[in-house]
Amino acid sequence: MTAAAISPGRRPGRLVRRMLHGGGFWPALPAVLFLIVFLVLPMLTLLAFGFVTIDRGRIVGDSFTLQPLWAALNDTLVWRLTWRSFYVAVISTVMTLLLAYPVAYLYSQTKGIWRTLMLVAVISPLLTSALVRAYAWLVILGGRRGIVNHTLIQLGVIDEPLRILNTDYAVIIGMTQIHLPFMILPLLAVLAERDRRLEEASFNLGASRAETFFKVVVPMSVPAIFAGLALVFAISYTNFIVPQLLGGGNYATLAVQVYEQTVVVLDWTRGAVLAAILLSSSFAFVFLIVWVGSRINRWSEARA
Amino acid sequence: MKAMTWSDRLWTALFVLLAGFALLLLVAPSLVVIAISFEPRAYISFPPSGFSLKWYQSLLQNRQLTDSIWVSLTISVYVALIGLVLGVPAAFAAVRGTFPGKASLNAFLLSPQMMPGMVIGIASLFFGAYFAFRASNAMLVAALSVFCLPFVIRITMARLAGLDPRLDEASANLGAGKLETFARVTLPQLGPALLAAGAFTFIEAFDNVTVALFTSDVRGRPLPVELYYLVQNDSTPAIAAISAIEIGLSFLVMLVVARTVGLERLGR
Repeated sequence: MTAAAISPGRRPGRLVRRMLHGGGFWPALPAVLFLIVFLVLPMLTLLAFGFVTIDRGRIVGDSFTLQPLWAALNDTLVWRLTWRSFYVAVISTVMTLLLAYPVAYLYSQTKGIWRTLMLVAVISPLLTSALVRAYAWLVILGGRRGIVNHTLIQLGVIDEPLRILNTDYAVIIGMTQIHLPFMILPLLAVLAERDRRLEEASFNLGASRAETFFKVVVPMSVPAIFAGLALVFAISYTNFIVPQLLGGGNYATLAVQVYEQTVVVLDWTRGAVLAAILLSSSFAFVFLIVWVGSRINRWSEARA
Repeated sequence: MKAMTWSDRLWTALFVLLAGFALLLLVAPSLVVIAISFEPRAYISFPPSGFSLKWYQSLLQNRQLTDSIWVSLTISVYVALIGLVLGVPAAFAAVRGTFPGKASLNAFLLSPQMMPGMVIGIASLFFGAYFAFRASNAMLVAALSVFCLPFVIRITMARLAGLDPRLDEASANLGAGKLETFARVTLPQLGPALLAAGAFTFIEAFDNVTVALFTSDVRGRPLPVELYYLVQNDSTPAIAAISAIEIGLSFLVMLVVARTVGLERLGR
């Protein structure tokens, strides 16, 4: 495909014409080369490292083996961690949707300063580092001095501090909050620009607001819902900062394990194998979400 | 419009409640961090027991932190520049180009956004090790540039798609060369988008920890990595102070984006 555009020997006349017309491939060439060198080759190295013996960053010649992959797949710990990554990601993704939809819908119904303020509230966390927000949750959910526990004890609701930090709850709460903007933004774009005549028609035909919402507005936003679900699932499933900081030292998910193997334990073969498992399983789940989304979208369009 | 039924009222109430809770959830952590950064005592409490700027002053005396801020600023400037230099022409080809395989090119250019930062970081670490480079901040710049390239390309593409190509044609018809047309017709129209893309990339690179943890230099760590180790071991209000500064920086970037391409654009 692009070979014709980049090899001048082949069709010089067309290439020159293209360059003059500005419609050519060549402006993208530097970016493509950059991505090949700094993304494609590193990814291939990562995959390769899972299947060879490595000694101080060097591949020991001719040592191709499936043993590390086999060992990882037979390790019950890996499966347990994958399961935890999965359910934590699923729960927090569903929670982001439940919280994001009302925000996006309310945004589409408001005007003026409120609208701007809502947008600022949604975007500002996106531009604040996840680390800063994880730290904030450490402070909010922490032990006896944590804001939640301190307030509840002061109010006399509880006597002993709740153990939230270092549990699934803390990880799910942190992830939900940190990933919320990624769910809101695609919904907001679709809901704010939707064609409202259908809703008016629905009202005129005697449907209630709730009926109109569920039968007209929600089906219209199905593609955006699933785009958000896929994105938030992927970033939750592969997040290792939040589980590490809010889950505490003994809490691990598949992504945390990948980090520990490569940075702490320095077992790069295992790290590479686990990273490959993490990435491929994440892609598989994302494709599943996208596939389900397109099925539901087709089904709801067929009904409409 | 019909009067609201009981179930309508219930749903509306539930919606407003959920939306309000979500908005509170979005802003509360940042507000808490800013509040506790003014804590006069040596440990965190909320609301803070008084008002003092001593943790901000303590940052200035912490050589390790000020050095890491400097490292991060340098890295982010490089990443933003590389992103613009590579991304803007690429966006040009992706929008204006007419050649076979354009859809695959676009998919390839945006593919880094499918990759978790951690995977890009580890891949760069292994790649560097294979060619006997040690983890260094130059490698981090390369890895972060890969990570951030899609942001530049997407923001530029969105703006380019909204431009009228006839202006360029008119310029060409009036005898301007390709470069002249680009410099005097296209670029001025793209200006705001480039500023937004640069600012957005800068803040993403400045905040990034998932890539940086794997490829950054062991000496001369960037700020997020320094903070990461700090947060794991300690919870002094000094962390809140530096976090508050980061929050302020993000507001600055938001202002730039709002003034140039509009905040709503970021969602698309």
